[in-house]
Amino acid sequence: MRPVYALGAGAHPWGKWPEKPQLQLALEAMSAALADAGIVWTEVQGLVAASSRFEGGMGWGLHANEVVQAVAEQGIPCINVGGACAAGAIALQTAHALVASGQYDVVAALGAERMPKGFIPRPPGSADDRSDNDFLRWVAMGATNPAYWAIEARRRQHEHGTSERTLAQASALMRRNAGGNRLARYRDPISEEDVLASPMVADPLHLLQICPVSDGAAAVILGSEEFVRRSGKAAVRVAGCAVGSGQFGDPARRIPTISSTVREGVAHTSEVTGAVRAAFELAGIGPEDVDLLEMADNSAWHILAWPELFGFYEPGQGDWMLEQGKLAIGGELAINPSGGFLSFGEATTAQALLQVSEVLWQLRGEAHGHQVPDAKVGMTAVLGLGANGGSVILTR
Amino acid sequence: MGKAAERFVVEGLVEQTPAGPRLIGSRCRGCGTTYFPQKASCPNPACTDKAPVAALLPDQGTLYSYTVQRYQPPPLFRMDGWEPYLLGLVDMGDGLQVMGMLTGVKEQEVRIGMTLQLVTEPLYCDDDGTAVLTYKFTPAGTAL
Ligand SMILES: [Zn+2]
Repeated sequence: MRPVYALGAGAHPWGKWPEKPQLQLALEAMSAALADAGIVWTEVQGLVAASSRFEGGMGWGLHANEVVQAVAEQGIPCINVGGACAAGAIALQTAHALVASGQYDVVAALGAERMPKGFIPRPPGSADDRSDNDFLRWVAMGATNPAYWAIEARRRQHEHGTSERTLAQASALMRRNAGGNRLARYRDPISEEDVLASPMVADPLHLLQICPVSDGAAAVILGSEEFVRRSGKAAVRVAGCAVGSGQFGDPARRIPTISSTVREGVAHTSEVTGAVRAAFELAGIGPEDVDLLEMADNSAWHILAWPELFGFYEPGQGDWMLEQGKLAIGGELAINPSGGFLSFGEATTAQALLQVSEVLWQLRGEAHGHQVPDAKVGMTAVLGLGANGGSVILTR
Repeated sequence: MGKAAERFVVEGLVEQTPAGPRLIGSRCRGCGTTYFPQKASCPNPACTDKAPVAALLPDQGTLYSYTVQRYQPPPLFRMDGWEPYLLGLVDMGDGLQVMGMLTGVKEQEVRIGMTLQLVTEPLYCDDDGTAVLTYKFTPAGTAL
């Protein structure tokens, strides 16, 4: 494999954009990424799209093709990948492989999503019987996604004594980080009291401790060493890039299943921890080298638990790290300096590419308003429905 | 009037035995792993036989964790007289943890580690008056 660099990134601000079709969000993110990389469409040799789930793609995910048909019909390979909320990471992994192999010099990865109002519907054609977990969890017990995260959070309280206040502090930190990020949807500061005063959704998680859904789009352009030199920008390398699926015996309460078969010694959320471990190995570094972590905070529980699962510190230590301010911008390990999913709301397939964009801007020192001082190594971690995990490490 | 008609929300989840309800899972003849609900194959990568057969799970387990579902789930879920309810994750032994609603216990009385008994209860009545049941867990010793 030859070295691969992040040439540029672009994103449409997260929010609700009823007047803009998803294709428009995608085109705006791509335009911003091209401008950031200092290249034009004719230099793009391939496009990988995280197939949008809810709109466009001609119903089966031909998302990249729609983009080039709209803006640059030039015969380049269009690859469309699935993976739910991890699809962006899988798109980046694919683009990385295309450049690392030497087959192409410049490949873009793109994700854009407009989320449906209210509950996410089951896909058409799903079986209404016991073979379909997503049917069972609704009809047999009405288990919503937050209920799964709440069951994890409650167990953490039991094992580590995590307090409601610490869980509230996690949300307050995310909002404080988002305050300086123009791309984030929710940027007003919130206090721990505000979090605890918001309606209880699934005990112990309140409304402000659960990520909402948003519309958004992000694109990252990868390229060879020659192209990053030409761009005149800081050379930020993709030092590690991996995707993973689940391990048998994983104790995570995996949405939408209604049971887990747990085996001793198997990592929790193994699809993500496996990808993180593989990314570390490829980069030849460890947790102690990382300055910032952009991770999928679907709930406040994730902020406390995930860095522990990745080996940044011991199980249970996340509470202390947070309380001591060590996870804030300027702390030992900045977690989600962007503001995270809690401040953006999740635009599923676009989310992982926003994470990589954020890390790129951080390493260039361009994360105005929420910059991690002297950031040199940044990591992303994301989980997608169906046991998809992805992780990316950028270094400069 | 005879006994009102009953059915389960989903076929093949629960078996009513003379000694009470039991969940229907699978036990793999190849590697011995227990699953719920029934599986078509065995996801244990080290298992070479992949031969799951239907098996009744124990009728008791211990509470591993829980939450309260505070807002009404989307319409696929039906419940007459909706109100927030407890959802538990129950350790059934052999490494198998099963999610289900809790009944017959107040939130303040719930304790991680408590022994729970499998029961069935109606969730709602169909338009034709059929009671539609699901499985739930209740503190052991209180089940009727
Ligand atoms: Zn087996």
